[in-house]
Amino acid sequence: MNKIPVILDGDPGHDDAIAWVLANASPLLDIRACTSVCGNQTIEKTSYNSMRVMALIGLNVPFAMGRKKPLLREPIIAPNVHGETGLDGPALPEPAIKPEPIDGVELMAKVLKESAEPVTLVPTGPLTNIGALLLLYPELKPKIARISLMGGGIYFGNWTPAAEFNILVDPEAANIVFRSGVPITMSGLDVTEEALVFPEDFERIRALNNPVATVVAEWLDFFYKFHRGKGYDGAPVHDALAVTALVKPEILTMKDYYVQVETAGDFTTGMTIADHFGVLRQQPNATVVLGIDRQAFVDLLVEAAAYYGKVAG
Amino acid sequence: MNRIPVILDCDTGVDDAIAIMLINKLPQFNLLALTSVAGNVELEKTTNNALRVLELIKSDIPVYRGAAKPIFREHVKAVYIHGENGLGGIELPQTSHVVPGITAWDYIYQEALKWQGELEIIAIGPLTNLGLAFIKYKQLPELIKRIVIMGGSASIGNVTPAAEFNIYVDPEAADIVFRSGVPVYMCGLDITMKAYLTAEEISQVGALGTKPAKFFQEVAQGPLNFSLRIGLAGMSLHDPAAVLYASDPSIFETHQVGMRVETKGPLSIGRTVTDLYSDTQWQNNGFIITDVDRKAFYQKVIALMSQY
Repeated sequence: MNKIPVILDGDPGHDDAIAWVLANASPLLDIRACTSVCGNQTIEKTSYNSMRVMALIGLNVPFAMGRKKPLLREPIIAPNVHGETGLDGPALPEPAIKPEPIDGVELMAKVLKESAEPVTLVPTGPLTNIGALLLLYPELKPKIARISLMGGGIYFGNWTPAAEFNILVDPEAANIVFRSGVPITMSGLDVTEEALVFPEDFERIRALNNPVATVVAEWLDFFYKFHRGKGYDGAPVHDALAVTALVKPEILTMKDYYVQVETAGDFTTGMTIADHFGVLRQQPNATVVLGIDRQAFVDLLVEAAAYYGKVAG
Repeated sequence: MNRIPVILDCDTGVDDAIAIMLINKLPQFNLLALTSVAGNVELEKTTNNALRVLELIKSDIPVYRGAAKPIFREHVKAVYIHGENGLGGIELPQTSHVVPGITAWDYIYQEALKWQGELEIIAIGPLTNLGLAFIKYKQLPELIKRIVIMGGSASIGNVTPAAEFNIYVDPEAADIVFRSGVPVYMCGLDITMKAYLTAEEISQVGALGTKPAKFFQEVAQGPLNFSLRIGLAGMSLHDPAAVLYASDPSIFETHQVGMRVETKGPLSIGRTVTDLYSDTQWQNNGFIITDVDRKAFYQKVIALMSQY
């Protein structure tokens, strides 16, 4: 079977890290490269975390750092959610690789150029790198099969009442992405707030007792601490949905919409606006994930964590 | 029972017409007057339509003329729903009533003073009149008990992907109202899309046989057909939902929230942003209505219409 070639682009981040654990365990994906973006923490920290996660899961592919800042704005970081390191919690191995001496966007472009078939991009942070790629290498658009992203929400926000964090951090980049014409799968808050992993699920993962599973369980412990304080019954592993949409779409419900990104509102900057009634008479530009079989999602995470016991053994 | 002094501010309009017929029979209210505003159609038509509906139901309450256009913007109409005359082309008999020579916003202030903090406003069109009233009379917020609106949406838009029509038409006025300090009860599309009547239910109202009931059925046909054509289950009674909410919230679900109106975003002008879930935790300035028992809603509508 042909694997789906992908580039993972994230700002690890607990849920980014779990998304990468899931991607690397899937027999359906062929990870060609990883890139970091400034989001949950500074670019230095998310880059370091990216390489530590890659070392943990034995992912040995080219890695490059993204830009220091969003395209037009100053960074917003989320130490309240992910801690000072951006990936607080269990000890992690030191990086096993050195970053490529080129920018993340250049690495993406190189992978796309060299690939025989179109590559799917999986951004789980702000869309800065993807926006820059589309701006700087428009000729490579046909080499992008799809962008499966975590971001936005067509019904509500989290960082502000109207906006989800990843889109809010770099709304101009998101605007470029949604207007690009490249097929988009958008896993936003509409589904990720439903994809809760409960404490009893953490224990299923912990009981697998392999080095990756143990760390994943501890990430979930950490991530849940923040969310429990906000009244959640479990940890919303947002970013893992962008990978799930590729490896297990059958457990998701999705609907096609024409989605736009607001960049200049007093209260709505970063809002992803879906045209429910088709008043703009535009063709849909995004497949929006709206629902999930939560139990099947948890089973998928457990199965992915179990994979690392087999490779280690 | 002490009846609540209330002014209905409206841009009559098909569903405004229905709202007027319903509020006229609600025992909770002492309906002081209607105030007209440009919205679904032009001001002269909304004013005249209000008078004609009052004539139909043999009510002699006054109609005060309000704003002919939004505070800053050009007027956007909704003739695709309401028809050129605002009542789907139906020509109700003309009225002999004369519109008093005092503006809607002056009248609202005058009544607010008189009722010493007891006055409630139900606003089911663009919020221009209230916006102007708050600009002109700085002590007005202390004199109005609450404002129940049909307008806005915390979920989907209708006139644009992000915005509901009434707020979109005059977002600056809505912004003034939301920041006035008077509690705003927002019956937006979140609730009004759920407060619909099916074709059969609308026929059942018509079958009551009275002139108002027949008018209800006839005037509803345009929006009903439009709604069915775009795949909805029936005609949303947007404005009547706000009126029935104001009279009795028990069949509705209400949440206290912080709310703002977007006036600048090119894609989201007129969006009502409600802080139901976010980390920002805006200060509460109103309430959003999110659900309704639709069957009970219909029962109320037909019970009120059967009083004619």
